[in-house]
Amino acid sequence: MSRRRGRLQTRIARHIAFAVVVSLVLSALVLVVFRHRYVQQNMERSALTYASLISTPLVTFTEFLGSGGHGLLDQQVARLRELNQDVERLDVVNVSGRLVLRSASGEIFVYSDGIDAPVINDRGLLRAISGLETTASRVTELDGSRAYRVVAPVVQQWGGHTYSVIGTFSYSSVDRQLRSSLWLSALVLAVGLGLTQWVSVTLAGGISGDVEKLRESVQRIQEGNLTERVSVSSHDEIAELAEAFNLMANELQATIRRLRQANRELETLDQTKADLVANVSHELKTPLTALRGYLELMSEGGLGGIADEAQRAVMVCRKNVQRLSLRVEELVQLSRLDRFTALDTTREDVDLGSLLEGVFETIKPRLEDRKMEFVLRVEPDLPVLEVNLEQLERVFLNLFDNAVKFTPQGGSVLVAAKACSHDDRAGVQVRITDSGVGIPASELIRIFDRFHQVDPSSRRRFGGMGLGLSLVRSIVEAHLGAVWAESEEHVGSTFFVWLPMPEDGGITTVTEGPSVRLDSGGEDRPAVEEM
Amino acid sequence: MARIFVVDDEPDMVDLLATILRADGFEVETDTDGRSALARMLAESPDLVLLDLMMPDLDGMELLKLLRLDPKGADVPVLVVSARSGHQDQLGTLQLGANAYICKPFSPRELVRQVRQLLANAQGETRE
Repeated sequence: MSRRRGRLQTRIARHIAFAVVVSLVLSALVLVVFRHRYVQQNMERSALTYASLISTPLVTFTEFLGSGGHGLLDQQVARLRELNQDVERLDVVNVSGRLVLRSASGEIFVYSDGIDAPVINDRGLLRAISGLETTASRVTELDGSRAYRVVAPVVQQWGGHTYSVIGTFSYSSVDRQLRSSLWLSALVLAVGLGLTQWVSVTLAGGISGDVEKLRESVQRIQEGNLTERVSVSSHDEIAELAEAFNLMANELQATIRRLRQANRELETLDQTKADLVANVSHELKTPLTALRGYLELMSEGGLGGIADEAQRAVMVCRKNVQRLSLRVEELVQLSRLDRFTALDTTREDVDLGSLLEGVFETIKPRLEDRKMEFVLRVEPDLPVLEVNLEQLERVFLNLFDNAVKFTPQGGSVLVAAKACSHDDRAGVQVRITDSGVGIPASELIRIFDRFHQVDPSSRRRFGGMGLGLSLVRSIVEAHLGAVWAESEEHVGSTFFVWLPMPEDGGITTVTEGPSVRLDSGGEDRPAVEEM
Repeated sequence: MARIFVVDDEPDMVDLLATILRADGFEVETDTDGRSALARMLAESPDLVLLDLMMPDLDGMELLKLLRLDPKGADVPVLVVSARSGHQDQLGTLQLGANAYICKPFSPRELVRQVRQLLANAQGETRE
């Protein structure tokens, strides 16, 4: 994670360094420019003074020594030149612009006045010479270097003859000084950059260190260490952020403590409920077993023969005990469904056709009892489903049982199973159509709710507690399927159960040959059967 | 005739089970307390034990465990009678060493059928 820290630190450091470098460079530039101007002005001023000071002696030497004493003139001119290091050339010209003397690079030329001496060929210079005025100008010489030229006129006290001195001064000393100050600035800049680097990294490290502390704390909380708090040495926004973070951590810790507490309570409650269900089922089933056992013994003559009237009473008792047992089992199963872990999720390959037939066999006695027609039509080549056999048996037992329960004597129930897709998923659909009392449209949505019955009085008429359909829905939904109903009052209802094919596509296997038609016989048989 | 030991804390249930089994010609011993039942079972070595799971003090599961730990009770067939009908409960009981499982409320015929089957299995094993 130091990689991230490095990134923030580098970013801050880069910003600081940029600001410092820019100001350093700017100030160095300003310093250099001012120094350069100062040095240049200084040099020009001293050149001007020098030119006007030496003009008279130079002209005098030229006049007196030029005609014969060259050696002496050399000495005198050399002495004058020593007074200013910048002087490059000294010229003496007469008033018509002809050179009288030229001293350049230590050599000296003396021209015989007025004959073969070259004429200064510069209008500005000639104007200055003829006007006898003192001028100074910056010029660029033929070899490209800059120079400072001063024209100093010399007026002889006795008049008549006039000369001017033209001094040419080099800027090389100024340039040298400029270079040296540039070097100095560069040096200072380099040292400054080094310092900037160190200072900015240190400063940035301070900031990013605090941020890093915060980040580490966040990570520790993420890892589940809820007691983690952060302390920051600064008193700025980062400190405020740290404080806010600590407050949040406090809240989080408290909330999680509350949630854990609540969860523990829920777990206890859930366990209590599970125990309760187990106890209730024990408490209800044990007496039911005793009742059922004795009633069966009695009705089958195991305890000696009994009168016909008594036999009929015993049969009624048996039927009701059977009903009670079914309801108890329903309750237990439904309460199990509420617990996430309790719904058995084991799946096996199930052939729906045989499953439906098996369920039909179970309810057959009741059909015969009520003289009803029951048709089971299974499409051939239905895919094999991956489902929980027991749970699906419960689904269809409940639906068949409902269809029979709500269809009057002599009515009919049609069950049809076919391959059919639902919401673009392949699967199998089972349709259970009865010719019963039907369900009002307003009730259709709610029939799958727990304890819901269309008409409260139906509880007495038809039995059941309104748990059957909610159990059906729970199981079907646990299988990722769908269940719904259509109905017309006094005409009948149709229930649809759709179950998806296994995820891997499910290979179609042969199940039933032709559809089977099973009509109930008319003979009276006891309604109580093993289930 | 085969001797069957019935253990259930409910006197009515004991009575019913005994009645059903005696009507079918079995010899029946009963007990309503888990601890004394265990001691008697080990002493009398019955041909089959009919065991209720939910009992106070020493419940059926514990009794079954203790019975299987004792060499004298390791082989006796045990048919468990329980109100719990879940898969997990049945599986757990069978893993503890029960030979079969019957859920309340059961019919007398079913009970007799299971008892006969278990006895036949046990006899087959001893003969072999």
